Amino acid sequence: MKRIAKSKLIEFLKSKGELWVKTREGFQQSDAEAFAGRASKSVKNMVLPREETLLVFFKPDGKNVDYDEIYDDRKRILFGLSPCDAKSIELLDLTFIKTSPTDSYYKQRRENSVLVVLACNSPSKTCFCKSFGYGPFTELGDVFLVDIGDVYLVKILSDKGKALLEGLELEDAADAELAKLEELKSTAESKVQDIGIPKDIADRLYANFESDFWEKIAFRCVNCGACTFYCPTCYCFDIQDVERTNWGWRERTWDSCMFAIYSLETSGHNPRPTGMHRMRNRIMHKFSYYEKIHGQHLCVGCGRCVDVCPTGFDIREVVKQAAKLEVTR
Amino acid sequence: MSRNGNPYKPIKARLERVIVESDDFSLKTFEFKLLEGNHFDYMPGQFCEVSVFGKGEAPFGIASSPTEGELLKFTVNKAGVVTTALHEAEEGMIFGIRGPLGNWYPIDKFKGHNVLVVGGGFAFTTLRSLIVYILHNRNEFGELEVIYGARRPGLLLYRDELFEWEKRDDMKLHLTVDREFPGWTRHVGFVPQVLERVAPSPKDTFAVVCGPPIMIKFTLPVLAKLGFEKDKVYTSLEKRMKCGLGKCGRCNIGEKYICKDGPVFSLAELEELPPDL
Repeated sequence: MKRIAKSKLIEFLKSKGELWVKTREGFQQSDAEAFAGRASKSVKNMVLPREETLLVFFKPDGKNVDYDEIYDDRKRILFGLSPCDAKSIELLDLTFIKTSPTDSYYKQRRENSVLVVLACNSPSKTCFCKSFGYGPFTELGDVFLVDIGDVYLVKILSDKGKALLEGLELEDAADAELAKLEELKSTAESKVQDIGIPKDIADRLYANFESDFWEKIAFRCVNCGACTFYCPTCYCFDIQDVERTNWGWRERTWDSCMFAIYSLETSGHNPRPTGMHRMRNRIMHKFSYYEKIHGQHLCVGCGRCVDVCPTGFDIREVVKQAAKLEVTR
Repeated sequence: MSRNGNPYKPIKARLERVIVESDDFSLKTFEFKLLEGNHFDYMPGQFCEVSVFGKGEAPFGIASSPTEGELLKFTVNKAGVVTTALHEAEEGMIFGIRGPLGNWYPIDKFKGHNVLVVGGGFAFTTLRSLIVYILHNRNEFGELEVIYGARRPGLLLYRDELFEWEKRDDMKLHLTVDREFPGWTRHVGFVPQVLERVAPSPKDTFAVVCGPPIMIKFTLPVLAKLGFEKDKVYTSLEKRMKCGLGKCGRCNIGEKYICKDGPVFSLAELEELPPDL
């Protein structure tokens, strides 16, 4: 572990490019100190933005069309991701980069982002990252930092991180500082829960696809979709054309599986007509389907969905109840 | 970045020909030519996303066969925003096409075996592609038998072609309409009933079934009764789609995406998935 004064690192990062700092609210273009906890909005906003333009088209005469793709080619330093943010990017990469065909828009933004991860000193009450085999001090990203007061402890984890910090003089961390790290780490880790996800949860949920379990858990949900928008791993999107006189653009926006229109077909048929169907699909996607496809759950245990739900739906409770389901299949 | 690097960027295509298919104008066939030297290889059963710039994209099964040359054919029911705009389009207009997307009928498995095609209504598009493909490579397959029905004669797709097929001696074609119609001398009755009447042998035969959900529902038990095994019956599914690439999320059944892992599935494969259609 190396060390550097906070102000020095921030000055340096500012000189290296477009600096986006994670505040309590989320990422902002700023030179403030990064918040060493879970922000309100996740890093998803930075790699898969709420809306983005895919194509711009021109229709000069009602018959011909010309169009081209539009890329966000800004290079950004993302400063202060919490480990759960970094973990969520790993999960998004599975779908958008590692599964063919690669999503060129996501990939471009991802390659142009350097991830400076900051250990989470103050997990929230709803945090349960420990359930997924990592924690608030797990070393992730391109550069890993720990906020120990006036100083950041620094560890470079990738070539990208090395390139970012090139020219910055780092000192060796003092023993007292490493002791401080251990102290912060054990305090933070003691605050996050391990909800005990059963190893066979993917098959367990699958086997109970037609159980009344889903009606029971979906009962309080009002299908507002807040959980999916705040979720750092919910990536479902919509594609729409916007038309102006003689020109327009094709945009991609976040969508939510909690909305009826998400799967509503033109014929009027909807394969997921009720809140129960949609809740079931969301939970199964996270704890069954994603694992069957990619070997990992589509959840990082950040707890945002629990905090933002207007009716107190708690995904931790759902998993705990699922653990009690019988496997009948 | 080239189109190959961006799976969301369509290929420019010119609408060469529009053919009215149905007597109520609800179904038209659109023939496109890819522009700027583009060409892609595809197989019967695959689909494309067709762009009407300013309205959006919609997925359509490819109705042409790769053996027919460069024109891509889609038969489209006028139903929503994109399909209505397509129906209003004139020949010569420029559109966008992304594809080919999804998997295809397992033609390699079919080779050397008999093929039974059962279709209903306007779901006959990729079945046409399959039939034309088999007829073009006739010696590579065994018997070809086709049962195709619509509500009335004027709703059968590709009528001129159907009547040509009827004259061939290297395939059997059974056409049916739901009710008696003046001048109609072929089968009368729903597709499942005609299937039961015709009773094709399951021996060494693969079945491909496409049609409206109600037809599928009543056809599958008949096939089972005739002795067709689940791993030898194939169907093509559809759901609302956006990306066509297995990313946007909405067209899944269980962990399978219809756009990417499908649209063609065997009944045996479907049985492994949760009932979420």
